Amino acid sequence: MSHQTPWSWKEMMAVFFARQIHDGDTLCSGAHTEISFCAAMLAQKSHAPNLRLQLGGTGYLCNLVGRPVSGGVPKTSVDYRIAQWAEGYFDHPETFLFYGPPGGGRRYYEDRDAFAGHNGYFFADHFFVGGLQVDYHGNVNLIGLGSNGGFTVRGPGSVGIGDVITVRNMFVFMTAHDRRRFVERVDYISTMGPSGWREKQFPGNGPQWIVSPLGVFDFTGEGMTARLRGLFPGHTEDEIAGATGFAVHRSELFDEIPPPTPAELALLRDEVDVTGVLAETGPQ
Amino acid sequence: MTADAAPGRKEVVSTAAEAAARVSDGMTIIIGGFVTANHPMPVVRELIKRGLGDLTVIGSATAGLEIDLLIGAGCVRKLIAPYVGAELYAPIGNCFRAAAERKEIEIWECSEYILYAGLQARAMGQEFMAWRGGVGTSIPELNRDLVVFDSPLGDGKEYLAVPAIGADWGFFHVGWADVYGNAQHVGARFGDRVLARAADRVAVCAERLVPNSYIRRNPVMTSIPYADLVIEAPFGSHPYAAHGFYAEDGEHIQAYVTASAGYRKGDRGAFRAYLDEWVTGPADHDVYLEQVGIRRLLQLEREYSAVSLGRHTPEGWPDGQL
Repeated sequence: MSHQTPWSWKEMMAVFFARQIHDGDTLCSGAHTEISFCAAMLAQKSHAPNLRLQLGGTGYLCNLVGRPVSGGVPKTSVDYRIAQWAEGYFDHPETFLFYGPPGGGRRYYEDRDAFAGHNGYFFADHFFVGGLQVDYHGNVNLIGLGSNGGFTVRGPGSVGIGDVITVRNMFVFMTAHDRRRFVERVDYISTMGPSGWREKQFPGNGPQWIVSPLGVFDFTGEGMTARLRGLFPGHTEDEIAGATGFAVHRSELFDEIPPPTPAELALLRDEVDVTGVLAETGPQ
Repeated sequence: MTADAAPGRKEVVSTAAEAAARVSDGMTIIIGGFVTANHPMPVVRELIKRGLGDLTVIGSATAGLEIDLLIGAGCVRKLIAPYVGAELYAPIGNCFRAAAERKEIEIWECSEYILYAGLQARAMGQEFMAWRGGVGTSIPELNRDLVVFDSPLGDGKEYLAVPAIGADWGFFHVGWADVYGNAQHVGARFGDRVLARAADRVAVCAERLVPNSYIRRNPVMTSIPYADLVIEAPFGSHPYAAHGFYAEDGEHIQAYVTASAGYRKGDRGAFRAYLDEWVTGPADHDVYLEQVGIRRLLQLEREYSAVSLGRHTPEGWPDGQL
């Protein structure tokens, strides 16, 4: 099916993510993808100038307000281009020293307003994770496809997605939506879904969204299972149900996802994705 | 030396070939850097030239294609790394993927901080470190060295005991170093400091060999003190970037990805041709650089400095400063 929109699916995803990021939040876009990098940069340049942003895996603390994106969007999480926006560095293992929530325990997550005036650098309001597979419970797999320690397809490895156990909101983003990737149960677990985080008493909330080129799931279903939260413009519930390996039901919060506004697209294209890496994929 | 002269400080300047000659089959080695930056490539190439095998290789928390190359060349028996790839250049390393699927290498399944916890335990002389990340995932099922245990505080929480991970040698690429083995990164330091602390011996490749006085100007920058060997290696991270000096060579990396693409299907001709041309062929690092060519190398320097000095913006920075 062809959906002709004047923006690409990667641009739509970046705009959607940027809208979920609020001024004063903290965000780590660790392992690199062009979508999550652009989303964070777009948010900081548009409505979240106080976004405390760790861009890239090796601990660059970046602010892009008033700074150009010279030479295009970074290609890896240690791209030298990131350094031009950095205000601070730390060694990569120290990343994890920045993940203890203020107040300790669950307080930060349950009474976040109490911490609204903090300028501290707890870096885990938002975190992006990609996956080979994601399932109904929000478990994410970067290890591989297969069983019993064997692999028909070996994945890249779990990176740090199982380590950031204090994350308030994890975006699971999938760059394709089909029944091989959206499954009832993942083959291997790199990080658990939200019910697993609660069961294991992790401080953070873990995955709160699954975002694909077609639409968005939340975890408002029974036992924190996936529910369809919205469709990206040009896509239908039938299309998503056909491409998903678990039963698709609407979230009680199901709502229309507005298309990118002309202002969002202009800022994204003129000041963030200056070489058009998101645009070149075209619509899906 | 006369009998009453005070002994002098030991100088540790060496070569990539000498460093690689210190490694033998079956050893454990660490390769520093991060994805597409700061890998000690002259040493990596010499290790392959020596035809070493049966190595346990510890990569960085986001290991790049330097590890993929070692796997493809048949040097690796066991891999300790939570990722092997090059992000937008290659989401997964081709040789890594093929070797894992065919069970040609053993993988010590981990995540970033599980790796660091093991290295840190070794660096501190402990048997293990406790870490909660990875609890509830498949990682402890796939890696039986990791032991799930209940918190001794009695709060009902589970932890992983991550046993100490050490290495015979650690190899790194830094900005500059002196003859005594004081090494300084220029820019990001990745996970190199913890990786180096877990190695019994450390060798650093450095873009520049500098006088000791240069190190003393800013001792806080000394990231790896007392390296056992220092190897002067300008452009020593090529085809990857060296922070503070030059950008990665995207074309070369792409050529490697293309050459290794057939590896998984059993067609290893293109990969062998890459090895012949770029690894085993050139007699040493200087010859390698000659083969890359001065134009390409200067271009990578310019690409780096153009962005880091703000030359891409005709108006300069908005506040008029670099």
